[in-house]
Amino acid sequence: MSGPIGKPTPYIDGVQKVTGKAMYTDDYRFPNMLYVGLLRSPHAHAHIKHIDTSAAETYPGVSAVTVGTDLPISFGILPISSDENAMAVEKVRYVGEIVAAVAAETMEAAQKGAEKIIVEYDPVRAFIDPGDSLEVCDPAEQIHSHTKGGKNIHKTAELRFNEPEKALEQSPFKRTESFKFAGVTHAFTEPHSTIAIWNGDETLTVISATQVPHYLHRNLSKVLELPMHRVRVKKPALGGGFGGKSDPFAHEMITAYLSMKTKRPVKCTFSREEVFINNHGRHPTTIDMSVGCDQDGIITALDTDTIIDGGAYGSFGVVTSYYNGVLLQGPYKIDKLGFRTRRAYTNKPQCGAMRGHGAVNPRYAMEVILDMLAHDAGIDPCDLREKNFLEENTITVGQLRITSNGVRDCLQAVRKKSNWDKLYGKQPYGRGLGIGCGFYISGSALPIIWNHYPQTVVHAKLDFDGRIVMFSGASDIGQGSDTILAQIASEELGVPMNYVQLEVADTKTTPVDLGSYSSRVTFMVGNAAKMAAEKLRNEMAKAIAKEKDVSADDIVFRDNKIFTEDGAVDISWEDGVEAALAGRGAIVESGYYFSPKMGGDFKGSGAGLSPAYSFGAFISDVTVNPSTGSVKVEKIWAAHDCGKALNPLAVEGQIEGSIHMGLGQAISEDLRYVNGQIVNANFFDYRIPYSVDTPDMDVTIIESNDSEGPYGAKEAGEGPIHPVLPSIGNAIYDAVGIRMMELPITPDKVLAKIQEKG
Amino acid sequence: MGHYFRPTTIKEALSLASDWPGNYRYFGGGTDLQIYRKQKLLNNEAIIDLSELDDTCSIKADENSMKLGAFVTLDEITTSNDIQTHFPLLAEAAASVATPVIRKTATIGGNLLVNNRCTLYNQSKEWRDAVGSCLREVGNSCLVTGGKDKCFSRNVSDTAPALIALNAVVIIHGQDGKKEIPLQDIYAPDGIKFHDHLDGDAIVSEIRVPAKPVSWWFKKLRLRKTLDFTSLTVAATVDSAGIARVCLNGVSMSPVLIEESLKKLTLETVIKKARKNCKTVDNDLMPLKYRREMINVYLNEWWESK
Repeated sequence: MSGPIGKPTPYIDGVQKVTGKAMYTDDYRFPNMLYVGLLRSPHAHAHIKHIDTSAAETYPGVSAVTVGTDLPISFGILPISSDENAMAVEKVRYVGEIVAAVAAETMEAAQKGAEKIIVEYDPVRAFIDPGDSLEVCDPAEQIHSHTKGGKNIHKTAELRFNEPEKALEQSPFKRTESFKFAGVTHAFTEPHSTIAIWNGDETLTVISATQVPHYLHRNLSKVLELPMHRVRVKKPALGGGFGGKSDPFAHEMITAYLSMKTKRPVKCTFSREEVFINNHGRHPTTIDMSVGCDQDGIITALDTDTIIDGGAYGSFGVVTSYYNGVLLQGPYKIDKLGFRTRRAYTNKPQCGAMRGHGAVNPRYAMEVILDMLAHDAGIDPCDLREKNFLEENTITVGQLRITSNGVRDCLQAVRKKSNWDKLYGKQPYGRGLGIGCGFYISGSALPIIWNHYPQTVVHAKLDFDGRIVMFSGASDIGQGSDTILAQIASEELGVPMNYVQLEVADTKTTPVDLGSYSSRVTFMVGNAAKMAAEKLRNEMAKAIAKEKDVSADDIVFRDNKIFTEDGAVDISWEDGVEAALAGRGAIVESGYYFSPKMGGDFKGSGAGLSPAYSFGAFISDVTVNPSTGSVKVEKIWAAHDCGKALNPLAVEGQIEGSIHMGLGQAISEDLRYVNGQIVNANFFDYRIPYSVDTPDMDVTIIESNDSEGPYGAKEAGEGPIHPVLPSIGNAIYDAVGIRMMELPITPDKVLAKIQEKG
Repeated sequence: MGHYFRPTTIKEALSLASDWPGNYRYFGGGTDLQIYRKQKLLNNEAIIDLSELDDTCSIKADENSMKLGAFVTLDEITTSNDIQTHFPLLAEAAASVATPVIRKTATIGGNLLVNNRCTLYNQSKEWRDAVGSCLREVGNSCLVTGGKDKCFSRNVSDTAPALIALNAVVIIHGQDGKKEIPLQDIYAPDGIKFHDHLDGDAIVSEIRVPAKPVSWWFKKLRLRKTLDFTSLTVAATVDSAGIARVCLNGVSMSPVLIEESLKKLTLETVIKKARKNCKTVDNDLMPLKYRREMINVYLNEWWESK
């Protein structure tokens, strides 16, 4: 690689962001802009008997008032569970659900105006514990009428391969354990914000803090009954998503509607408390898992039964349900595997996708049980894992196609760096090491909405000024996809990165990209960008070859020059541009990415399919204070196989961010509820680890060079979270001999276990 | 709309206070009270910012005694060489409050008079309306304890137990003049009127510590190493006469002091007194059982360390 690919490259928007110049959604102001005030439900589950908006309508400064019946068409990220409305229609399903909204001249008038709306409710039984949702209930109490069997079960996902229960019975070593995971949330910096502008030409522009402009585009069109060609969605600078901005949201529908109604720009920005209420975070989960192994430590079978607490609406829940099972097919070879996941509707804010989607909690359970089996069988936990790793270029029992696989190198790297072989099991009481591995998809192979289109299209444009403009629908949410686009164009065309400029995430000007979720962007958009830039280079080379009478194949683009090795051509980039555009003008070339066809032919076979998978192994070093139960994570050695690190600086950042986020879920973060209402809906009581709580990190990037990834790349944004949690849990066992089956691992739970053990 | 005042003398401040009876709030650094305003827990129209008061921002500490202006910031206390040298207990207690950035603004007076907290009270208006109003606000029974007619909100000052263990007194200026009282007498074991022993408009201007202890001990229980309010703070000293002063906070409506000659004291009696005097209820994010257990663990640690 002669250009920036593979070199640590600071984000192209980094300086703008750290100096406060980058424009986030809430930074935009438009003339005559109105503000949205939202009225939210004080009940977890209640019928709406009557709404009186008259006092709000006449409140000074209020321009428009709207209620649920104005927007009766439902929406949702998955077409199979479009169970939400912009505002509650007929009934409310959680405390904080939006019931009505106003648009007003000032934020204060909007808030006060909304408070003037009077709603009469008729409360019904609220389902807070997901266990209750699994039982048959009075039909009048059912959260959604579409659930089957009179129960509040949103989805049951179940797959079984090769009778795992039989194999478990015959396994010399077997563990059946129960785990419990609290719900956690993304806790990104920038609150949700959206601005809608109803334009003079009867089109709608929505500027929004979203990871999925494309799906927002589709859902706005559906709910507002506006044809898609009249809706434009733009994503400006965005301050973190982690899956928390990957759904179309009620406030986006409401704001757009109020703009249409008032024919004025309208803005809605959430308070931090509203961000927490919006949630869409990781599902609270209970897992009953059985894993067996033989005398040599070879895994015989895995069977798991999982309940996930979905909250009041669907979101990504169907996918989450499958991911809880299918993403147990790696990084170990397991031929006998079964799972059932039931997603319960409850009267709480909805859960959805969050970094490491669906796989973080079962990964913890699996890795802890493997650790137990290693001890039962008298095998070192690292050795047991090495014996079971999947090979590269293989197919799993559920037909996931594994290409490159660097998990063995990952494990060996951290094992060596942590001095595992000398220290494991041999340190004084209170200090311990633990291992955890993981794997993750590099983009979902299937789109959310079935279609014949590619997963993404990128245009590369060259004009007389010599600049290359890359047009991509990809949403940079802080993960660095804009920088990757610029790096790829710079690499392919041999120009410095400042020759590359971007038009991104604007559904009017940029070709469709499905969005920033499932760790798909570098892989899919990267491939499309590479193809577009290559085609542009080939077009230039053809024109120059013709003019200079050389073969186009001999022309090299490098160091801001265009040349042949024999010196027949040796021109500057600018001269090359002139030659290439002569007689035709600007060139636009397109690249695209289609996932290969793969997967089994059974129901649910599409879940977890990806063109490539990342792998990882982490080791944690912890200290446990046996008298207080407090856990200090001293150091984490992390090795992640991202195929090829296109931007090692960004990969390192993603791994460190994953460690921090995984640490939070492991030891301190949880959403607490009283009567279904979040108790700690603020950054004070929702306890994200601070810098002083964060361990030293030693990051190793393993490059397995995937055959299908752009330049060999795979994902690095989500996979690195999976090994973090179990490595901490297993280290606590090494330190004080207790198994933590409930997350977060707070001091009270540790102390209770220590006392129980005696 | 509100009114913001920044008096430079105590006299002026007291006069402003009488201009806004029941409708003002004194501010030190305001780091905590701003959140109360945002959550509509404080709805007073006037703010009287005391941070510019004359002669309330100095530190004098030597091996015999310490004098602190009430508007010295917590950061100034943690970084003062004199306090670190002669009264390290206070330096450590101040350093345990909030975060470095907040400590640059938060004052010692403000921390001593920090409002009592409860998980079901320190919430937004919409939240409180949905869950039902608690005794401390407008209701008639406590939500945490399932209906008791008493409020158990917690005093969460970390510097209070340290200064009480150091036998501090405070200078108070009220509408009826100036007086000196032991710090612990400011606090009342009442979750609603927790500073009831301060007269209506009274201002704490100064904190005095008469003597340096022979030994000291301090520990704060919290989930993270920064920011969190305390779930249990224990500060303890032993003076030259062999008198132990052990003060617990974060586990009751006011700091709980146990003062006894070491000759008479046993670990069992300290724990027994502490557990009896702390009215600990389930109003913190750390579980009740654990917080109670930690009282024993901390007191045991102090006892072992003497």
